[in-house]
Amino acid sequence: MTDESSPHRRDPIKSSVGNAAAQRRRQNAASVGKERRESLMRAKRFCRVGVSTAIDDNDDSPDHDMVIDEEESILEAQASSAVEELKAAVAFQGKGAVQKKISALQKLRRLLSRSEFPPVEVALKAGAIPLLVQCLSFGSLDEQLLEAAWCLTNIAAGKPDETRALLPALPLLIAHIGEKSSLPVAEQCAWALGNVAGEGEDLRNILLSQGALLPLARMMLPNKGSTVRTAAWALSNLIKGPDQKAATELIKINGVLKAIIQHLKNADDELATEVAWVIVYLSALSNMATIMLVKSNVVQLLVERLASSNSLQLLIPVLRSLGNLVAGDSCTTYDLLAPGHEITDSVITVLVKCLKSEHRVLKKEAAWVLSNIAAGSVEHKQLIFSSEALPLLLHLLSSAPFDIRKEVAYTLGNICVGPVEGDGRPKLIVEHLVSLVNHGCLSGFIELIRSIDAEAARLGLQFMELVLRGMPNGEGPKLVEQEDGIDAMERFQFHENDDLRNMANGLVDKYFGEDYGLEESSS
Amino acid sequence: MEWNQETVQFLSHCFLNTLSPSPAPRRQAESSLASASEQPNYALVVLRLVAEPSVDEQIRMAAALNFKNHLRLWWTRSSTDPSVPTDSRIQGPEKEQIKSLIVPLMLSSATRIQNQLSEALAVISKHDFPKSWPQLLPDLVSSLQKASAASDYVSVIGILSTANSIFKKFRYQYKTNDLLLDLKYCLDNFASPLLEIFLKTAQLIDYTSGPVGTAETLRPLFESQRLCCRIFYSLNFIDLPEFFEDHMREWMTEFQKYLTTCYPSLEKSGTNGLIIVDELRAAVCENINLYMEKNEEEFQGYLHTFATAVWSLLGDVSQSSSRDRLAITAIKFLTTVSTSVHHTLFAGDGVIQQICQSIVIPNVRLREEDEELFEMNYVEFIRRDMEGSDLDTRRRIACELFKGIATNYKAHVTAILSVQIQNLLSSFAANPAANWKDKDCAIYLVVSLATKRTAGGSVSASTDLIDVNSFFATVIVSELQNQNVSEFPMLKAGALKFFTMFRSHIPKDVALGLVPDVVRLLTSESNVVHSYAASCIEKLFLVKDEGGKARYTSKDIDPVLLMLMNNLFTALRYSESEENQYVMKCIMRVLAVADLSQGVVAPSIAGLTSVLNEVCKNPKNPVFNHYLFESISVLVRRACERDASLISTFEATLFPTLQTILSNDVTEFFPYAFQLLAQLVDLNRSPIPASYMPIFEILLSADLWNRSSNVPALVRLLQSFLQKAPHELNREGWLSLVLGIFNRLIASPSTEEQGFYVLNTVIENLEYSVIANYMSHIWHALFTRLHKKQTVKFVKSLLIFMSLFLVKHGSENLVISMNAVQTGIFVMILEQIWIPNLKLITGTIEVKLTAVASARLLCECPDILDVAAARHWGKMLDSLVTLLSRPEEDRVEGEPEVPDIAENVAYTAAFVSLQNAGKKEEDPLKDVRDAKEFLVASLTRISALYPGRFPQIISEALDAANQSALVQFCNIYKCVLV
Repeated sequence: MTDESSPHRRDPIKSSVGNAAAQRRRQNAASVGKERRESLMRAKRFCRVGVSTAIDDNDDSPDHDMVIDEEESILEAQASSAVEELKAAVAFQGKGAVQKKISALQKLRRLLSRSEFPPVEVALKAGAIPLLVQCLSFGSLDEQLLEAAWCLTNIAAGKPDETRALLPALPLLIAHIGEKSSLPVAEQCAWALGNVAGEGEDLRNILLSQGALLPLARMMLPNKGSTVRTAAWALSNLIKGPDQKAATELIKINGVLKAIIQHLKNADDELATEVAWVIVYLSALSNMATIMLVKSNVVQLLVERLASSNSLQLLIPVLRSLGNLVAGDSCTTYDLLAPGHEITDSVITVLVKCLKSEHRVLKKEAAWVLSNIAAGSVEHKQLIFSSEALPLLLHLLSSAPFDIRKEVAYTLGNICVGPVEGDGRPKLIVEHLVSLVNHGCLSGFIELIRSIDAEAARLGLQFMELVLRGMPNGEGPKLVEQEDGIDAMERFQFHENDDLRNMANGLVDKYFGEDYGLEESSS
Repeated sequence: MEWNQETVQFLSHCFLNTLSPSPAPRRQAESSLASASEQPNYALVVLRLVAEPSVDEQIRMAAALNFKNHLRLWWTRSSTDPSVPTDSRIQGPEKEQIKSLIVPLMLSSATRIQNQLSEALAVISKHDFPKSWPQLLPDLVSSLQKASAASDYVSVIGILSTANSIFKKFRYQYKTNDLLLDLKYCLDNFASPLLEIFLKTAQLIDYTSGPVGTAETLRPLFESQRLCCRIFYSLNFIDLPEFFEDHMREWMTEFQKYLTTCYPSLEKSGTNGLIIVDELRAAVCENINLYMEKNEEEFQGYLHTFATAVWSLLGDVSQSSSRDRLAITAIKFLTTVSTSVHHTLFAGDGVIQQICQSIVIPNVRLREEDEELFEMNYVEFIRRDMEGSDLDTRRRIACELFKGIATNYKAHVTAILSVQIQNLLSSFAANPAANWKDKDCAIYLVVSLATKRTAGGSVSASTDLIDVNSFFATVIVSELQNQNVSEFPMLKAGALKFFTMFRSHIPKDVALGLVPDVVRLLTSESNVVHSYAASCIEKLFLVKDEGGKARYTSKDIDPVLLMLMNNLFTALRYSESEENQYVMKCIMRVLAVADLSQGVVAPSIAGLTSVLNEVCKNPKNPVFNHYLFESISVLVRRACERDASLISTFEATLFPTLQTILSNDVTEFFPYAFQLLAQLVDLNRSPIPASYMPIFEILLSADLWNRSSNVPALVRLLQSFLQKAPHELNREGWLSLVLGIFNRLIASPSTEEQGFYVLNTVIENLEYSVIANYMSHIWHALFTRLHKKQTVKFVKSLLIFMSLFLVKHGSENLVISMNAVQTGIFVMILEQIWIPNLKLITGTIEVKLTAVASARLLCECPDILDVAAARHWGKMLDSLVTLLSRPEEDRVEGEPEVPDIAENVAYTAAFVSLQNAGKKEEDPLKDVRDAKEFLVASLTRISALYPGRFPQIISEALDAANQSALVQFCNIYKCVLV
C-alpha cells in the first residue's frame, strides 16, 4: 500500500502520460541484435562459382583433384605454396609471364573457394595481398583481374581482420568498377568491395572517401544481368550508416531513383530483394531519400510485391521499406495513404497477410508499420479499427512473443488516441478505447507494465492512463483494479527510471490516492 | 595545489584527523580539507596520496573516500540550480590526468581502497564514458587479459566490478539511438573478452571444485563468475546482441552447470561459502529470466532443462531459512515461465499441487528472520508487509508465482489453495501455541493473493479465495478480541492487516463492535501491533459507501473518543514509537473527523505541543513531522470553527514553540511554522493582537526570503498580514521595509522570482492609495534590473506583474505611475517587452491574467487607442491572438530555459504545504470565465464605438493564421467586429 499523503516523497508528474501515446517511431538506426536476414548470408558473401562464364575454367569441375573436406593442414600447405608460386610468377618477367600469373592465381583462387574453411589466414601470412594488388594493376588482362578480384572477394568474406587486410587493394578495386571495365571484372570487384563494406562503419567510411559510391551506383542503372544484383547488394552494405550521408548522396545520383523503380517493377524476386535492401537503408537513414521515394510510386510497388510474393527473403526488406516510408515523411504518406484510396486498402490487406504469417519477423514488422499508420489522422485510426487487422492484433497482444506484443501495443494504443489538440494534449477516441477494453486488451497492457523492459512498461502505463481517464462513467479505476493494475503500478514506487516512477506514482496518487478527509470533516 | 612533501604532510594530517573520535580536531580537519579542495589539482594530489605506498593505509583509505566524494560533487556541475556556482573545480587537464591514472591505480590497490576507486571511476564514467573516455574500455580489456593470463583474480574482480558498474545504465534507460551506439561500442569491445574470462574461470572451477580444491581458491572464481553474469545481464538487457546469440550455447551450458552442481568444498566451508555460490546462482537465474521474458524464442531450446533445474534447486532452497536472494530469483523465473506461452509446463498432473506444497507454502511460512525483523525493525517490517515494498521478499514472490500460474489455471489454483488454507487452520486449531505460524501463513496467503482495489478513495482488497465475512468471523475476530494484548503479536498484526485490507467488506455494525478492541490494541507494546491498530482506525474513516458518503462519522467514535486519543498518545510513548508516523496519521485523521469538544481539545493540543517541542530538538522523520503539523492545524481550524474564542488558547500554547523554532533556526520547520502563523492570523479578527508584531518583523528578514523553500509559506503569511493589518503595517513604516526586501531580491537573477512574489502579494492585497507613493521606487527598481540584465524569466515575471497591477488598479494608474519615472516609458515597454513576449507566457492562470490585461489595454487605454498608435494596437492584438490560439509548445520554443512561475508557485519538493492550513492558489480574475470570450466581447464593444477602424488594422497587422483564429473566436461567442 502506498502512503500518498506525504507529498515531498514524490516528484510531480513531469509530463502528462497521455502526450506520448500517439507517436510515430522509426526503427532505431543503430542496432545490436543479429541482422535477421533469414538464411541469406547478407553482410558478407563467399564466392564459390565465378561471376561469369568468361573464364575458361574447364578444370574447375567437381571431379578435379581437390576434395572438399580435405584436411586442414594439407589445405594450408597448398595455400602457402600457391602464394609462393604466385610470388614467383609476379616476379617472372620472361615469355609467358601473364599466363604463369593467371594459372598461379587460379590455383590460389580454387583453394580459397572450395573448402568450407578456406585457408585465408595462411594465404595472408604468406603475403598474398601485395601480390594480388599487383595483379590488379591497370592494363592487365581481364582474366587476370577477375582471378585476383575473386581471390580478394573470398579473403574479404573471412574474419574481420582478414577483411581489413584488403585495405591496400581498395583503390584498385574501386578503379575497376568504373565504366571502362568489362562487366565480369566490375562485378567481381564490386563483390569484393561489398564484403569490405559489410564489415563495419570505419571500412564503409574509407570506401566512401575513396569514391566507391558513384561507380557502384552506376552499375545498378542499366540492365546488366547479375551485375545489377551484386551492385545493389554491395550498395546496401555501403550505405547502411549509421551516418546518413551516403544514403542521401546515393539518392541524389542521377538515375538511381529511376533504376530502383524499374527494378522493383520488373525484376525477379532475387534482384528485387537486393534492391529492397537498398530502399531499406535509404528510407531508414535519409529524409531526403524518404521524401523522394514517397513522391515516386515506390509505395505502390512495394505493396504489389508484398501482395504477390511469398518469398520471405523478399518480403522482409519490402515490408521494412514500407514501414520506414510510413514512419518517415508523415505528411506525404498520410496524403498518399488517405483512407478511401485504393492503395490504402491494399496496404492494409498486405499487412494483414503479414500479421497472419507464420513468420515472427513479418508479424513484428507488420505490427510496427500498422502502429505508424495508426499514429496518423482519426480516419486512419478508424480504418485500422474497422479492418480485419484488429482481431489479429488483439489476439497477438495476449499470445505473441514479447517483441511482437510490444509492437502490437503501440498500434492499439495509437488507435485510441487522436492527434494532438489545441491544448497540447491528444484527444481520446473513446469509442475505440471502450471497444478495445471490452475485448479484453487491458490485461495485455498490464502485462507489459510488469515487464522489465522500460519502453514496454511506459507503453503499458500510457494505455492505463487512457483507461483511467477516458473510460465512461469513471469505470476506468474499477477496470484497472480488477486486472490487478494497482499492484502492477506499485512496482515502480522505487524504480530507477525517473520517468516511469513518476508516471506510475502519479497515476496511483491521482486515481487511487486517499483524499485528505478535508471535505468530510468540514461538513 | 602541488605535489610536494609539505602538501603530503598537510593532507595526511588532515585525513588522519577526520578519523578522530573527538569532534574538535575532526571538524578542523574537515574544514581545512574543504577549503583545500577549492584549489586546482586538489583531486589529482589526493589521488596521488592514495597511491603513495609510504603513507599509512588508514590515511590512504580516508583519502580515497574523500577523492570519490570530491569527484561526485565536482566532476560535472549541473547548472539547473542557479544558486550554486556552475564552475567546475576539476579542470580539463586535471581530468585527463586522473583518467589516465585511475585504472592502474585501482587495480594495484588493496580491496578497500579498490572499492572506493572503483566507485570514483563509475562517477567519472557516468559523465565521460564512452565518448570522452575512449581509452577506458581498451585499457580495461587489456588489463583483464593480463590479469587473466596471470590468474590474478584480485585484479580480474576489480576490473569486472568496474565494468559492471559502468554498464549498469543499459538496464534502465530507454532505448535510444545514442544508448544503442554506446551499447554497441561496449559490445564490440567487451563481449568477446567477457566470454573468454567466463569460460576460462569455468574451467578453473571445474578443475578446482574436485576434492583437491579449497574454499579459498574457489571463492574468487565464483565471485568473478558472478560479476560476469551481472555484466551479461546489462549487455543483454536492451536487445539480444548478435555475439551473445552466436555464443548462447557456451553461456547456457555453464549457467546450467551452476544451477545443478553442488560445490561442497566451498558450500560447506562456513556460512559464507554457500552465500557465494548462491549469489552466482541467483545471478544466473536473473539472466535466464531475462531471456525467458524477452528472447523466449531463442531461449526455447534451453527452457525445459532450466525449468527442471530451477525446480529441483528450489526444492532444497525452500526448506532453508537463509538463501533468500536465490529463492526469490529462482521463483521469479518460474513465474515468468508460468505466464509465458510455455505455461503448459505447469499443466501436468499434480504439478500445481506440488508447487504449492514444496515451493509456495514453505516460502510463505514465517522464518526466524521475519520474526526478528518484526521485533527489531518495525518500520522495515511494515514497509514490506503492508506497503508493497516486499517485492523482493520470499513470502511475496511465492505468492506472485501462484498469481502467475493462476493466469492460466485459475480454478485449479483456487481449489488447491482453499484446501491448503483449511489445512493450515486446522493445524492451528489442533495446537495453537505450537502451530500459530500456520495461521499466520493462512492469513498471509489470503491477503497477498487478494486483488488490490480501491474503495472509498483508498486501496483495499477483494478476493475469491475465501468468503471474507465468514473468514473474518471465524479466524480474525478471535485474535482481535483476545484480551491479552501481548500474546502472539504477529497473529494480532496479521488480523489487523486483514481487517484493514478488507475493511470495506466488513459490515458497519460488525466493524464498530470491534473498534474498542482495536483501540485496546493500541496499548500493545509491540510496535507493529500498535502501528497496525492505528492504521486500521485511520483507514476505517476513509471507507465510503456508494455515493461517496463516509461510512463512519464522528458519532460512531464518540463513545470511545477519549480512550482512543489517550491510547494514541500512550502509543507515542513506547520505545521507538516516539515518532511513529502511523500513530500520528491516525491522530490527524481522528481530529479531522471527531466531534471536538473541550474535553478533547485541551489534552490534544497539550499532547501535540509537547510532541512538537520534543521533535524540534532534532527533526528526524519528515513524514511524522508532516502529520504532526497537519494534526495541529486541523485541530486549530476545527476547534476555532466551533468556538472562535479558543484562538487565544492556541496562541498561548503554540507561540512559545513557534518562537523556539524561529529563534533556534529549526529550518526544516520554517515552512510549517509560517503556515501555522498564517492560519492563526486568518482566524483573528482585526486588529490582530500586538503579540504578532514581533513575528511580522521576522518576515522582514531577507535571509528567510533567500531560501526558496520558505517562500511559498512566507508569501502565505505576508498575505494574511496584509489582509488583516494593512494600515498598521503602513503606519509603522513596515511597508517600505517589505519593499526593501523586494528590492534586494529582485536585483539578482537567482532570487528575482521570490522578489516578484513579495511584490505581487503587496500589489494584490493593498489599496492603491496605500501603495501609490511607493510606485516610482518599484518601477525604478524593475527598470534598473531590466536594463542591467534582461532574461526571459524576468521579462515574463514583469509582464505578469504589470498585468496584475492593471486588473487590480486599472490601466490609468499603470500608465501614469510608469510614465512618472520617465516620460513615454510605458509605450516603450509595451513595444519592446509586452508585445514581443506575451506569447511566451505559460500556465493557465498566468495566460488568462496577461490576456485579460492585454485585452483591457487594447480597449481602454488612450495611449494605444490613439490613431497614431494603430501599429501598436495591431501588433498587440496579433500577439494576444497568438497567445490564446496556439498550444503552449508551439508558442514557446524548445525547452523552456527555466521553470515558469506556475510551476514554482505550486508546492514542490522542499516546500510542504499543510492541507489544513492552506489556501488554494487564487485566481485573481475569478469573474472572468474565459479570456477569449473577454477579448471578443471587449473588441466588439470598442469596435462599435469606432466602426470600420479596427477591421482594417486587423487585416493589416495580424498574420493570416491569427486572423482566421480571431474570426473563429468571434464565431464561437457570436460577436461581430464592425
